[in-house]
Amino acid sequence: MQFRRALGLLPLALLFVAWHLAVEFKVYPPILLPPPSKVAMVFVEDWDTVLSNAGASVARVIIGIALSFLFAVPLGLMIGRYRLLDTMTDWSIQIFRSIPPISLIPLALLFLGIGDKPAIALIFLAGTWPLLINTIFGVRGIERTLIKVARAARASELLVMKDIILPAALPAIFTGLRLAVGGGWLTVVTAEMIAVKSGLGYMILNAQLTFRSDLIIAGIIVIGAIGLLADQLVRRVRAHVCRWQEGLTASPE
Amino acid sequence: MNRFIECVGVGKIYPGKNEPVEALRGIDFTCDAGDFICLLGRSGCGKSTLLQMMAGLETPTSGQISVAGNELHGPSPDAAIVFQDHGLFPWMTVQKNVEFNMKARGTPAAERRRIAERFIAMTSLTGFEGRYPHELSGGMRQRVGIARALTTDPKALLMDEPFGALDAQTRGNLQDELLQIWEKQRTTVLFVTHSIDEALLLADRILVFSPRPGRIAADIKVDLPRPRAPQSEAFSALARELRGLVGAERDFD
Repeated sequence: MQFRRALGLLPLALLFVAWHLAVEFKVYPPILLPPPSKVAMVFVEDWDTVLSNAGASVARVIIGIALSFLFAVPLGLMIGRYRLLDTMTDWSIQIFRSIPPISLIPLALLFLGIGDKPAIALIFLAGTWPLLINTIFGVRGIERTLIKVARAARASELLVMKDIILPAALPAIFTGLRLAVGGGWLTVVTAEMIAVKSGLGYMILNAQLTFRSDLIIAGIIVIGAIGLLADQLVRRVRAHVCRWQEGLTASPE
Repeated sequence: MNRFIECVGVGKIYPGKNEPVEALRGIDFTCDAGDFICLLGRSGCGKSTLLQMMAGLETPTSGQISVAGNELHGPSPDAAIVFQDHGLFPWMTVQKNVEFNMKARGTPAAERRRIAERFIAMTSLTGFEGRYPHELSGGMRQRVGIARALTTDPKALLMDEPFGALDAQTRGNLQDELLQIWEKQRTTVLFVTHSIDEALLLADRILVFSPRPGRIAADIKVDLPRPRAPQSEAFSALARELRGLVGAERDFD
């Protein structure tokens, strides 16, 4: 098992070797492609810069995704439960989810100016659609007998929502959350290149202007690492919250 | 108390894809409190539809149904239903599942706990309170379904082929246990089955359904003493009679 896990590092190791060889054989001049050692030094010498910018990006994603969660999950539960709401919203959802949040940067800047607000608004949008669609999907998948049990017991609508619809949809909601966090992270980096003066996106764009390709590569490594960590975190939480599902679903061989 | 459940001219027509489908026509019957009645017939003869209507989960297209003297408009507080696919909530433990119907009526938590304990013991589930449904065998899941139905002290227990998905051994055990519970609780039981032997083992009275549209073809009183022996002369004679009534196929198990 431990060995299998280690296999996940293989592509990364190959990439590292390729990088090392490219530097060794001077495929690109060092100003463009710095050696790994120089990039590693960034984490020592520029640690404060990396840390504060990473913190700014992470904070924006947490706020933006939290807002989209609070908005999309209750709405999705309602849309999934009530056919009339579904009919009303279906087209709109399909239209708006097709719009890349990045394409709204110009509008966000016009309305919200430069700063945290446009970035958070875009992350909110990036997170809302996957959360909304997966929540609706989760509610739809509920076994019909379970709804009948609740009706026969004359359960109140609130109890049905809280004890039946929500837990039934939770696995799908977490799938949506994974997609939302991934999408939010992609969006924050891009938004920071244009709309804000802090964060990892701003940091690497700024590094380009000062020919600090070591800082660019370090920034990219941090972006990837945080993306991986965030995904693992959501998976852990899901495994804990949905532990009743263990053994119910097929796991890959 | 006479006429505990009363059906007068009950019919059900579904709006089918091409043309309306008549599931039931002209169902008239009454049953006394404390009776154990089996609704017997082939699949598609409307017996489950009638049960669902008595549970208030479906509305008749014509005629009316009363339970305990009240005409039905939606699920009745005097009835509880047990489904073939047990209808347990996979995210709730056995304890929470058994407590659900009481929770729906607003029974205080402490009382729920106490009552659930009693019925968990009655259905031989003690020790499994903390398990999730997927950790239980098919027979145990159905016991949970029965325990849950009994907790609200229903005057009518409606059972929709509850043992249909179980193996013969488990089925036999549950039939015995159900009779013991029925003798203790003296609740009225309406039990849908397509097995002649099951109907003869359990019921005081058997309503035989014929299909297209579903009607009551015969109303047979079963006066055999319990426990009943399928090998006995009288049992076999009744079984032969029922086979003739139910239709050409010898047994449709």
